[in-house]
Amino acid sequence: MSAQMNKRHPLAGKRMTGAEMIIQVLAQEGVDTIFGYTGGAILPTYDAIFRYNIEHEANKSEQMQLIVPANEQGAGFMAAGYARASGKVGVFMVTSGPAATNSVTPIRDSMADSVPVVLICGQVARSAIGSDAFQEAPVFNVMSPCAKHVFLVEEPEDLEATVRTAFGIARSGRPGPVVIDVPKDVQNWEGVFKGEGILRFRGYENRMKALAEARLLPEECAEFLNLLKKSERPLICAGGGVISGEAAVHLRQFSEKFQIPVVTTLMGIGSVDTTNELSLHMLGMHGTAYANYAVMDCDFLITIGARFDDRVAGKVQEFAPNARFLAHIDIDAAEIGKVKSVTWSHVGSAREALIDIMQEGKSFKKDFSKWIEHIRGLKKQHILNYDRESEKIQPYHVIECLNEITLGDAIICTGVGQHQMWAAQYFNFKNPRSLLTSGSMGTMGFGLPAAIGAQMAFPDRLVIDFDGDGSMRMNLGELETTTTYELPVKIIVLNNLGDGMVRQWQRLYFGKRFSGTDKSLRRKNFVKTAEADGFEYAVRLNDKAKLKETLQEFISFKGPAFLEVMIDPEADVYPMVGPGMGYQEMMTGDYIVSRTSEEGIFEKTSKPSESF
Amino acid sequence: MTDSSFQDPRSNNTQNTRTLSILVENRFGVLSRIAGLFSARGYNIESLTVAGSSDPGLSCITMVVRCEALLAQQILKQVNKLPNTVEAVDLTDTNCVERELVLVRVHAPEEKRTTLLTEAEIFRARVVTATPENYVFEVTGDSGKVEAFLDVVRPYGIDEMVRTGKVALHRALGAKTSGN
Ligand SMILES: Cc1ncc(C[n+]2csc(CCOP(=O)(O)OP(=O)(O)O)c2C)c(N)n1
Ligand SMILES: [Mg+2]
Repeated sequence: MSAQMNKRHPLAGKRMTGAEMIIQVLAQEGVDTIFGYTGGAILPTYDAIFRYNIEHEANKSEQMQLIVPANEQGAGFMAAGYARASGKVGVFMVTSGPAATNSVTPIRDSMADSVPVVLICGQVARSAIGSDAFQEAPVFNVMSPCAKHVFLVEEPEDLEATVRTAFGIARSGRPGPVVIDVPKDVQNWEGVFKGEGILRFRGYENRMKALAEARLLPEECAEFLNLLKKSERPLICAGGGVISGEAAVHLRQFSEKFQIPVVTTLMGIGSVDTTNELSLHMLGMHGTAYANYAVMDCDFLITIGARFDDRVAGKVQEFAPNARFLAHIDIDAAEIGKVKSVTWSHVGSAREALIDIMQEGKSFKKDFSKWIEHIRGLKKQHILNYDRESEKIQPYHVIECLNEITLGDAIICTGVGQHQMWAAQYFNFKNPRSLLTSGSMGTMGFGLPAAIGAQMAFPDRLVIDFDGDGSMRMNLGELETTTTYELPVKIIVLNNLGDGMVRQWQRLYFGKRFSGTDKSLRRKNFVKTAEADGFEYAVRLNDKAKLKETLQEFISFKGPAFLEVMIDPEADVYPMVGPGMGYQEMMTGDYIVSRTSEEGIFEKTSKPSESF
Repeated sequence: MTDSSFQDPRSNNTQNTRTLSILVENRFGVLSRIAGLFSARGYNIESLTVAGSSDPGLSCITMVVRCEALLAQQILKQVNKLPNTVEAVDLTDTNCVERELVLVRVHAPEEKRTTLLTEAEIFRARVVTATPENYVFEVTGDSGKVEAFLDVVRPYGIDEMVRTGKVALHRALGAKTSGN
């Protein structure tokens, strides 16, 4: 379950404190960065980090960098950003009570998006637990329903194995966050370090073993290929599981080999190169019109590592109405048949499943060129578009200009709101793990700390926090963290003077009553804020004519840079499938061509295949 | 979604209750985590028993929940994902025996004692203790039997009652249907 440890740990048999053991296990797990904030109940372990780093002064690469945020929520999202960008387990460490409760949001966020992080929380001493002690919070109870797993270390002898096991659980199967609550007296306890050993979880280990061995049988592949043979209009729907399962390369081969176009969920963006001609970008509530039309038209929907979230499926009974067959590959058995019942399914790793099908399908031939032609037509006819003549700066235009600079190769982090959806729609993404966004929880304030975490994982890559003014306010304190550690994150705030996404719903469904969402009278000066936090590049842009050159100078600035772009506050996100509606009811706005019902060239077979 | 065809006559199942058997590692907090998966969806647990199993490291949770079969399957799948879960199954429509034990204190005035005892005999209910006013009965059986007994003694006047909640076991090895 844990990193393989063939040779004896050099410190095995040595006496040390619990705190030192924690750090030794982190080192063993390859942790190079810890995000966190100290305090009474975690002091011993912070001290152990300090001493560990002094001992490894000679070899900086063995040291563990400590990144201190403004708020523990920031630390959590930094760890998550690190994990999302790199695929490695992100680590954050906080004290008890308020620090632990500040960490609930990033833990839940990581659970909802299947991100492997480990949180180490200090806790009051064992003798004080349950006594309403100073800075005591019921971490086990609060975190349990939010995390993949929570440990409260009751026996100091178990501490070492617990930390190792936490990493194993975080990264295995469907990844997720693991919390370790460590009472202060356990950190101060002294015992013998073993250098190996994990806690046993029989059922879980068996299930993980079964998953690892779950290869597709030739008959099962044949069944799949048979469905593919029978279909005329197959479509792949790729989700975050393709990315976390490291299956993007195989998905690309698969799509090319069989000539099957691909739509992705928000979490699946980057699993295929969005500039590829078989890529249709994102589906769902704010999916591209052509992706959603393709979902309506397809007769075989192959879902991989995705789960028909309500923002994807809309009205479930009407989702993919012409799909005669549905296939579903997922590592999580609980997702199969949860929303849609399927014709063919496989529980296991996406990568192996794709490899197996490609292997069995070596000589498979079926000409989908008519369908591909149709897809090409959809992409052309229903291309994303906006008011290009507008005097005001249009958010879409900002992204198009950025694409010319980044060439689809940047790591883009976002807040939550309209800007997030524009980012998902308009940015080009050549690689997996390059859109970091709070998909399932939709947590405003995610973008900046996530960008800091991603930059720590990849110091030399271009990391952009593409944020909204509302979301930016949520974790504004992390501006200072960016300059403190001299991280060259490029922060761009699309300022539409408020909570644009909510305003869009208020415009549509609440008679334009902008309750609580209009911030036009606020006195915030983002540029001064950034300057005060040490940004040497902090600029506000109003003038459309200067957009390109400003973006160029902003991106090429060495070091942290902050750019506020005043955009058209009326700009909306289109297309939009209203909440609980079917794709038929998709609104495309004034600039994207929608199609009339007759234009859906394929006959309705009207065979809904939904479960509950 | 669930219709009467889901009911197994042997289980004496009143509508839409599911008997779930969950084998877990005997560790801190496991029960609350599992119970939480039900409460998070607004499902009330009708009865719950937790005790050791044939394996010293493992506990067996038997839970009766009022919900539809498909939903129970869904929740069991979630339960089956918890690291501490060894196995989670729905026993409702399977070949299993189930028992519950009830202690009930019934009004037993002198003149009614004979009939009360005769009726109790039908259910093999035992008198475990008595006072001049009351009998305390112990009865064991599946839900049908227990309910029938309670219906019979109710007219005499039930003072107080405790029930263990249901436990269930497969009649034969390998008869389980898994939560997956
Ligand atoms: C923590 C949190 N609070 C509230 C919301 C609800 N919400 C969703 S989008 C949104 C507006 C976001 O505003 P901004 O970041 O400026 O993005 P915009 O839509 O204007 O681009 C709000 C309030 C949320 N998603 N997260
Ligand atoms: Mg805004």
